Amino acid sequence: MLGVVRALGIRALDWLSTLGRATILWFNAMAGLPRWKDISLVIKQIYNVGFLSLVIIVLSAFSIGAVLALQFHTQLARFGAQEAVGVGLALVLLRELGPVVTALLFAGRAGSALTAEIGLMKTTEQLSSMEMMGVDPLRRIVAPRIWAGLLSVPLLTAIFNMVAIYGGVVVAIDWLGADPGGFWSGMQDGVELWEDLGKGMVKSVVFAALVTWVAVFQGYDCPPTAEGMSMATTRTVVISSVLILATDFLLTLVMYGDF
Amino acid sequence: MTSDSDNLIEIENLTFLRGERKIFDDISLTIPRGKITAIMGPSGTGKTTLLRIIGGQIRPESGNVKVDGQDICSMNRQELFSFRRNLGMLFQSSALFTDLSVYENVAFPMRVHTNLSEELIRDLVMMKLNAVGLRGARDLMPSELSGGMARRVALARAIALDPDLLMYDEPFTGQDPIAMGVLVSLIRELNNALGTTSLLVSHDIHETVSIADRIYVIADGKVIGAGSPEALQAEPTAMVRQFMHGEPDGPVPFHYPADDIAYDVLGEPG
Repeated sequence: MLGVVRALGIRALDWLSTLGRATILWFNAMAGLPRWKDISLVIKQIYNVGFLSLVIIVLSAFSIGAVLALQFHTQLARFGAQEAVGVGLALVLLRELGPVVTALLFAGRAGSALTAEIGLMKTTEQLSSMEMMGVDPLRRIVAPRIWAGLLSVPLLTAIFNMVAIYGGVVVAIDWLGADPGGFWSGMQDGVELWEDLGKGMVKSVVFAALVTWVAVFQGYDCPPTAEGMSMATTRTVVISSVLILATDFLLTLVMYGDF
Repeated sequence: MTSDSDNLIEIENLTFLRGERKIFDDISLTIPRGKITAIMGPSGTGKTTLLRIIGGQIRPESGNVKVDGQDICSMNRQELFSFRRNLGMLFQSSALFTDLSVYENVAFPMRVHTNLSEELIRDLVMMKLNAVGLRGARDLMPSELSGGMARRVALARAIALDPDLLMYDEPFTGQDPIAMGVLVSLIRELNNALGTTSLLVSHDIHETVSIADRIYVIADGKVIGAGSPEALQAEPTAMVRQFMHGEPDGPVPFHYPADDIAYDVLGEPG
């Protein structure tokens, strides 16, 4: 019995100290806004984490939009409400699927890469040598990556939403022959700027912060061994995915919960 | 440099633990200004740890570490980073930035810490690369360099801002004889030309003896010998003699602590 309590205590303390280290990392990296001198570093990282994620985002968005439209159309057709496909598609995407799926894909594509990159820099003593040169790797390496994530994920989410809706249009209008007028006017009437688009974007910024934070911390904190790095990359994807889904529920509750 | 003392680094009563193990047990040593000082000792005696403590990357359990009169252990993050601008360190793994070319690696400290014009940086980089004989390799990437070349590039990067203190972590390990000779003369020349204080950590006796002005031998967390290379080689202490002459067994045991072999092999107490 005592052993169980002890093991639980050790686990809890371990977890707390990890959380503490992660928080210190965040504050040391993000203390102060990025200096103008570092803007080129941020742009380079936006290319790495944002632009290079475009292919997977666009492909997934198109298929998800197409599948959604197909499902909506077949179900709504039973009630003769095909013109509701447009508004249904837009609301589901803007409020939930856009931010969530984009963040999940971002964690798999860019988050794991961030962890591996920073982890390898640590393993090969590049971070250490930078420190010894009087350059803070948190400001030089970690901060630009966090900023790039914070800027890229909302943009990727917007692109995701757009492409997914286009995928829906291709299926519902071009293929299944829904009425374009009803499709678009339904969407126009049903979607509100802040309530749907704005809140979705807020979600996406929160997810961006979570994923990049987990990714850079796992890289920075990983043991400098091959095993440590592989575990860190796996943990990045697992932890950020779970965090995204759990946080999404909480955010939805706070934003749309009517009670 | 502010302090006028003859010693650039003064370490007093330093104790450092790693887990239960005492890496340093109340050691004191001084590193004279403008000289080459070597810290020697068997592997695993914490020589690299000592460099990291001096650079402020690790904090000791107790003791004072003063570099140029400033106490490293009481500095905050900002102070540490500005202190380290006067410091150059050559890592055992060279630790070149793999995403930057040789030229950009050497230019890195200049770009970050100074506002020099691009032409001036170019001139300086060429001079530093010329000093290590690798001006022609400026456009190569670190992955295209041999181990010896990478270490020379790292050396050029370490001296990029003409630091007051240069620390070398095992500079000779894993080098072929030619590269080793090149490095030995480079370290000597750099020390003379720049007036830098050099601190060298190594267990390559022959090379170290040939360039060091002063040697500390560390084993079991203690300083077991100190003095000029000549004095140390004539040293009568058994432990120092074992190390300086590379004898396999002696006060520093060949075996890692273990049970009696009869017990491990036959499964019965000796």
